[in-house]
Amino acid sequence: MAPVLPLVLPLQPRIRLAQGLWLLSWLLALAGGLTLLYSGHLQVQLWHLSTFLAPSCPFAALPRVALAAGAVALGTGLVGAGTSRASLDAAQYPPWRKVLGPLLVVGTAGGGGLLVLALGLALALPGSLDTGLEEGLGTALVHYKDTEVPGHCHAKRLLDELQLRHHCCGRHGYKDWFGVQWVSSRYLDPNDQDVVDRIQSNVEGLYLIDGVPFSCCNPHSPRPCLQNRLSDPHAHPLFDPRQPNLNLWAQGCHGVLLGHLQGLASTLGSMLAVTFLLQTLVLLGLRYLQTALEGLGGVIDGEGETQGYLFPSGLKDMLQTAWRQGGVAHRPAPEETPPEEAPPKEGPPEA
Amino acid sequence: MALLKVKFDQKKRVKLAQGLWLMNWLSVLAGIVIFSLGLFLKIELRKRSDVMNNSESHFVPNSLIGMGVLSCVFNSLAGKICYDALDPSKYAKWKPWLKSYLVVCVLFNIVLFLVALCCFLMRGSLESTLAQGLKNGMKYYRDTDTPGRCFMKKTIDLLQIEFKCCGNNGFRDWFEIQWISNRYLDFSSKEVKDRIKSNVDGRYLVDGVPFSCCNPNSPRPCIQYQLTNNSAHYSYDHQTEELNLWVRGCRAALLSYYGSLMNSMGAVTLLVWLFEVGSGPAGGEGSGGHLPLLDLTGGAQPGVLASLLRSSPQPCCG
Repeated sequence: MAPVLPLVLPLQPRIRLAQGLWLLSWLLALAGGLTLLYSGHLQVQLWHLSTFLAPSCPFAALPRVALAAGAVALGTGLVGAGTSRASLDAAQYPPWRKVLGPLLVVGTAGGGGLLVLALGLALALPGSLDTGLEEGLGTALVHYKDTEVPGHCHAKRLLDELQLRHHCCGRHGYKDWFGVQWVSSRYLDPNDQDVVDRIQSNVEGLYLIDGVPFSCCNPHSPRPCLQNRLSDPHAHPLFDPRQPNLNLWAQGCHGVLLGHLQGLASTLGSMLAVTFLLQTLVLLGLRYLQTALEGLGGVIDGEGETQGYLFPSGLKDMLQTAWRQGGVAHRPAPEETPPEEAPPKEGPPEA
Repeated sequence: MALLKVKFDQKKRVKLAQGLWLMNWLSVLAGIVIFSLGLFLKIELRKRSDVMNNSESHFVPNSLIGMGVLSCVFNSLAGKICYDALDPSKYAKWKPWLKSYLVVCVLFNIVLFLVALCCFLMRGSLESTLAQGLKNGMKYYRDTDTPGRCFMKKTIDLLQIEFKCCGNNGFRDWFEIQWISNRYLDFSSKEVKDRIKSNVDGRYLVDGVPFSCCNPNSPRPCIQYQLTNNSAHYSYDHQTEELNLWVRGCRAALLSYYGSLMNSMGAVTLLVWLFEVGSGPAGGEGSGGHLPLLDLTGGAQPGVLASLLRSSPQPCCG
């Protein structure tokens, strides 16, 4: 039963391993902390934009998974730093010995799994943003006028603030406002002939105008904002409707929000990738350190050479041993059973 | 007559020196904090110098920056002195400078207190600067083709949107100036010609405001023009309408913003001043002559908190 990927570790390389591991663990803790903070930031951004994202969009799962992965990475880094520090000192090592086994299991299975899941989500989910935003913005546009309908009364304020803050107008352009009734019927004069004509000329009885709300106005324009009768070339002197590029915001909110959220997701994805790399290195290093120190049987200042390994035997042998042990446990147990510290069991120390 | 006598033996003196070293580095940190506060205030004032006529006084941020740098320098020096005080040979070279250093520290603390007071008192001068600056800003709102003033429209619009305010004292300030440039007026229209003729100076005044005064919280689409004409808009009463436009004037909004900023900076500076005053006499006492005896005598030596200027150590058996 040959150990998997053995590495001979005399005293000096062991010390170097512990020191390098200490540094890597602090880096991992830093990366985990940053991932935690950034996914919190993404969560807050999504919460602000929740009206414009359809509830069925699964994008909201990404910051939560990344939050959990970051927390586990932070914990792994901190414990790894403590362990590698303690492994240089014979008096401090024993309590850490007990923690190390469970940590390796939790770190590999839990942390690694979460990180891989989060990475996968960071790569796959931004694709679903397109339809989510399309639906959400469309709903918001339609409910702009419903400032007295419970459930939609904030749509106007939120959409105005979105257009003011992100410098965008409509879904894909300002003409989206021409197809929606954004003036509430409460403020339309039923006796005004123009209003009546407009409503009657529309199939669905909507009051549609070629005007936009004030939040579409671009402050960089040299002239006071033109909001009404935008398709009529004679309505405003010296204004060419074929070139309204400075008067209103040219971009649509869909494109702006998509770029914004995709940028956040890709940054989070790269942070998760770095954290994953660091976590793999730290866990590998901790495993080698653990097995090497177990090989010395607790006398960690000993000058002797010892072997560190990943697994005491190959995968097939491990499964066979585990199966046999399961069978043995049903028969009366012998008097001496060494306590199980962590699966797989440590192999006999190599002389 | 010694004030507040405290007996110090070897262990306590070492602890005192270590504590002083730590406090000095905390003071350096506090100095960095003051420096960054001053820098932040300077940047904030510069950002809006357009609406303050470029004539705002930078006295407070400059003095905060200066005090921050001085605090760092003095406290790192004090830290070095405390560190050297544990070694008699190194300490000997610092001894002649201690008296003047302590005097300078007292002066520094007085100036720090005055700067903290200034933070609270600058509000008055800021108010007059803002009133003048905003009035000019609104006057040049329409001059988007005059070099040197072409950015004023953008600045005022972004200011009104960000600070949720309108005009100098209120939205009616816009009724008194011509904010629509002549370039965009159709002089063939009768309405325009009537308005200009009815005004003494030949200005085109409207009872309307720019779009940046609009309040997104209003339930109805923003009404910007013909604000005082109730019949121009359906179901509209200008006397009772409150949500349509921002009600606050930009002078009050900016004043409250800068006022709260400077109040918090003044509070932080006062805290740092208290900390410096607290660590000053203790530092003077510690390095005032008893620490170099750490290695030579192990016995107790009386320490005196207020004897800042005692520079020669008393040998225990002389």
